[in-house]
This record gives sequence, C-alpha cells and structure tokens, in this order.
Amino acid sequence: MQINRVGYGLIAFFGVAGLLLATVPLFVSIPIEGAATLVLLGGIWFLVALGLLLYARHQKRKAAHQDWIFRNGLKGRATIVKASSNATVNEMPVMKMVLDLDLPGLERRQVTRREVMSVFAARRLEPGLVLPVHVNPEDPSDFVLVW
Amino acid sequence: MRSVADLEATYADFAAAHGLESLPSYPAGPLTPLLVESGDGGIAPAARGRLGGEVDGVVGQLAYTRNKTFRFSVALADVPASTAFVPRLFCIRRGRHTRDDEFYGFEARESKLWTESIALNERYTVSTSPYQDPNWLRQLFSPAFVDWLASKAPASFSFELAYGALLGSVEDGDPDAAALAALCEATARVAERIAAESGE
Repeated sequence: MQINRVGYGLIAFFGVAGLLLATVPLFVSIPIEGAATLVLLGGIWFLVALGLLLYARHQKRKAAHQDWIFRNGLKGRATIVKASSNATVNEMPVMKMVLDLDLPGLERRQVTRREVMSVFAARRLEPGLVLPVHVNPEDPSDFVLVW
Repeated sequence: MRSVADLEATYADFAAAHGLESLPSYPAGPLTPLLVESGDGGIAPAARGRLGGEVDGVVGQLAYTRNKTFRFSVALADVPASTAFVPRLFCIRRGRHTRDDEFYGFEARESKLWTESIALNERYTVSTSPYQDPNWLRQLFSPAFVDWLASKAPASFSFELAYGALLGSVEDGDPDAAALAALCEATARVAERIAAESGE
C-alpha cells in the first residue's frame, strides 16, 4: 500500500481542521457545551490524521525494505497453490495465498503471503499461476512477490 | 458510424477472407484492464483463428460506457509463458483515457512507469509491476521492437499483457478490413516478441 494525493489531502484536511477545531474554541468566548463538542470533534479528527500519518510512514518503510530486496535479492519463482480473500481494504481485496517457492540451489518450500491487490489482479490469481519473486538473501522467508 | 449489421458484415467478410471463424460474440472475460472496463469482457462481433505469424486469437469489437461510449477494435492472444517473467505489462498510447485506479487515500503499490526508452515514451505510457525485472524488459524492448512500436505500429495501437493474456487494441469503432488486418498483425507481432523473450 502507498499513500496517494487523495491520502495526503485527507491527512492535511483532518490534521489542520482538527487542530483548529480543538484549539480555537479555547480562545474565543462560546458556550461551554459548544466548545466542548468542537474540541472533542477536533481531537478526533486530529487523531485520525495522526493515525493515517503513522500508517503512511509504516507503509513507506515497508516499501523501502521491499525496494532493497528487489535490488539485492535472489530471483526465484512462486507457484500459486491456493488464493482466496475474505477481506478488503478500500475496496481492494486482501489476498491470502499459499505459494510454492522455488529458488535456485534451494529446495522448494511452501509459504503463505497476504497481499492487498487491485480487484483486476486478484481475479487472475489461480492455482498453477507462476509469478516472479525476489527473496532476501539473508532471510528466505522475506520476499517480494511480483504480481 | 455504420450500423451494427454493417460492422457484423465487415467482420464476416474479414473472417472469410482470412480463414477465420466468424462469431457473433466472444466472452473473453475480464482478462485485461480494457476488458474489465466492458464489465463482462464481451467482444462482439468477433472472428477467431490465426491473427498473424504463428499466433492464434480472437479479433473483435469492444465497447463500454464511462460518461460516453468508448469503442475499440481489439485482438486477443495468449502468451502463457510470459507470466513467470512479466505478469503485467501495459503499453498504452499517450493520451488514451484509461481506468482511474485511485481508491480513497491509500492504494496498492501496483505499477511503475518504464521510462528508459525515449522513443517509446514519446508515443506510449509503459507500466509494469513495481518489482518487474528491468533487465528482462530491456531485452524485450530491443531497438528493433522499440522502433517498430514507435514508428510502424498502427495509429492509436496499444497493448495490455496481463497474466498471459495479450490484448492489442486501436481506438476504432468502425474499422475496415485493412485496419483489422493491421491490428491482427501488430498484436501477433507483439505476442511473438514476448513469447520469444519468455522462451516459448
């Protein structure tokens, strides 16, 4: 997953608007009930923005790690044994896959992988499909699936 | 714009002239992004058989509506061995309207632009998986292949390769026999190039 322009816009909106809603009522004279509601609402919005920001940072670090594996990893192949989904993120299916991993010089082994995919790609994952993989040379369980 | 009957006649004549099987429709299914746009991936009218070289497939008309109706002539072929090397490769004419894949604020990290060839990028937007082996793509896009794509492929030609299904297309809702032949030949050429590089 990666944050896009819409995501940055949402973070900016909820962050700035939340901060304003949470702080401005403290400095202007409005009824206490109204001020409390605005502060509470602003606080929630700000926390939403903070949560999105932390999630974006986590995804960015994960992407950087995957980029490193892509540049430095061993090339292999993964054969889909089983693929299914019973959850979505932003309407994109979270695919749970069982894969047979083949790396040069190593025995075939079976691994599982969860991946958020576009609907189009998810529809095409069928048992027997062979996809490229890049595997962390220091940890064979750490790999990037090219889908 | 000719009538549906005229279009069907064009395809029937084209099929007869090229030894293809004429079909009222062909249920390709949602194999590539352009076929996904049409919902069920139905091609109609259609003709099935040898597209060119050693490549078999289906040629036909595809239409879908996104505010307005888009019409394409398409040719579909299989390159199954490509999936292990290049699961997805989209080479789309610059300026062609395609699906908007932005979902909310976060999206799957699913594509990366291939920008190494200036000649290719003047005419096409080329995208792949973010972790596509660049060396394999460099071999696929040989100078001769790039030259052909950039200067000799039919006008408005684009292709989508997704999990072994190759769809060549031109933005033409009213093709004549020459345009269909050019599309079939172009798609077959791309299929053969990808198959050769995939070791088929």
